[in-house]
Amino acid sequence: MKSDYSEPRASRTDIRPVVADDGQPHLEDPSVVLSLLEADQVVAAKQHMRFGRQRLSRGVRAMLWGLRVYVVVMLIIVLVSVLRAVHAVH
Amino acid sequence: MDSSKNDSNAAPRIHARPTTESAAASSAAPELATLLTHEDVDRARDRWQVARARRKGRGAQKFRGVRLLWLLIGPGVLVFLGENDAPSMLSYSADGARYGVGFFIPFVVLTFLMGFIVQEMTVRLGAVTHRGHAELIFDRFGKFWGFFAMGDLVLGNFLTLVTEFIGVRAGLGFFGIRPTIAIGGALVIVAGAITTGRYWTWERITMGLAIFNGLFIPAAILARPNWHAVGHALVTWMPLPGGNRSEILLLILATIGATVTPWMLFFQQSAVVDKGMQPRDINAGRLDTMLGVLLASAFAIAAILATAPLFHHGINAADFQAAQFAEALQPLIGHTGAALFALGIFEAGIVAAIAISTSSAYAFGEVLQTGHSLNRPLRDAWPFYLVLLGSACAAAALVLIPQFPLEFVVLTVNVIAVLAMPPALAFLLLLVNDREVMGEYVNGTWANVAGIGVTLLLIFAGIGFGIATVFPKWLGG
Repeated sequence: MKSDYSEPRASRTDIRPVVADDGQPHLEDPSVVLSLLEADQVVAAKQHMRFGRQRLSRGVRAMLWGLRVYVVVMLIIVLVSVLRAVHAVH
Repeated sequence: MDSSKNDSNAAPRIHARPTTESAAASSAAPELATLLTHEDVDRARDRWQVARARRKGRGAQKFRGVRLLWLLIGPGVLVFLGENDAPSMLSYSADGARYGVGFFIPFVVLTFLMGFIVQEMTVRLGAVTHRGHAELIFDRFGKFWGFFAMGDLVLGNFLTLVTEFIGVRAGLGFFGIRPTIAIGGALVIVAGAITTGRYWTWERITMGLAIFNGLFIPAAILARPNWHAVGHALVTWMPLPGGNRSEILLLILATIGATVTPWMLFFQQSAVVDKGMQPRDINAGRLDTMLGVLLASAFAIAAILATAPLFHHGINAADFQAAQFAEALQPLIGHTGAALFALGIFEAGIVAAIAISTSSAYAFGEVLQTGHSLNRPLRDAWPFYLVLLGSACAAAALVLIPQFPLEFVVLTVNVIAVLAMPPALAFLLLLVNDREVMGEYVNGTWANVAGIGVTLLLIFAGIGFGIATVFPKWLGG
């Protein structure tokens, strides 16, 4: 059985950033910045790469609608109960 | 009608796949190199610290794990100490004051374990996808469902923010500080935390403030709890609360709402992304979340213990607010204990105000696709900072309005959080089981069993509350 808490696989490309004499990385060099980030971690890449739409099955849509109705009904009940409580306090 | 079939964004979309490939090794590297932002550079600096801590050898070897954990903790600790906010600490205090040491102590531990189960999933989602929760919901389920999720978040966050400022006002009110000065000072702290333009600095400042949630521990010690009764309650869940069942259900619901709420999902995932965490950091993210659970549950139990003397002395705390708790405790646990309690409520309000307004700002930025990072300078991401400060200012202003029904907000906020949680958890479970999004990091069987179990428990708790409210005689209330 697959463990829920298995050790994640390390980055496939462990590129070491260029380090200056004082032990600091050369972050003015774009290649150093890119070596430290994953491909889809760069802001510009994220703006162009989006996860597409998931096709929702009937069952999933029914569940989401059911939960939406649940929230609306419960909110009405909360409203009524709080109005009663506030009325009782005053 | 469900608009999922014809809903699309204008921006060109290339289907993203979960990857652990370095940006430098990607085919788009030359193009990306010309498009780097301040946010990327700051995030790379944080990643470099983590990479260095992983590689460091020689004398530092034995401290490597500690150093790495220090660099990677933050979102988990902040989300749980942020959730130990003013209304939550008041809920725990009400548990202690009305029912003493008993059922609610192990129940609080259970709710925090539920919190860990769901928050761990947000760590994985953030580290693998590098996308915030709102962004993923809009991408995968479309605007129709996305706006529902945002509606729940915005309503819940705003009401909760109002209660945080109520906590600030009441906490400092104990020391005779005027409401305008208390609220104004709190806004200055919220604004001060974001002026650095650096996620790392913001996170450390907020964590520094959050650790003062521990003020409830000396307050509890000053209340001289019966440790034997505490141990007995932890093992047996006894004594059970007695009296009006509708009232007990409301407190149970408020206690759950004090631990698992929608803003936590949005906040932690976005913070994990802003921190730049990667899949190899997931275990550290779990440790961070567990540390948050341990600290927050200890402080929550301390709040119950601190107010338990009110129960033992038969003092009716049914309608107590923050300042009244502190004032009522003063003859029982002394001025120092009461002052610590009041300061704890103030701290809880401040830290949560920072975290919740940041959660709203992240979500707005993700949905509107504008800059949404604390690594961005003010001029680059002004809509993000405007939402962050604007929501805090609006909530603070409401608290200063004379005759505003503050008790109405305090009564509803935790209950609304619980009721809005099942749909939020449904989206979370769908996302974290989505192999196209998560790749090899999808939920395993046990994580799904636990996640679905938490969702069902919240639904049944809500239905129980509904029945007790509409048909009180059914439960003998």
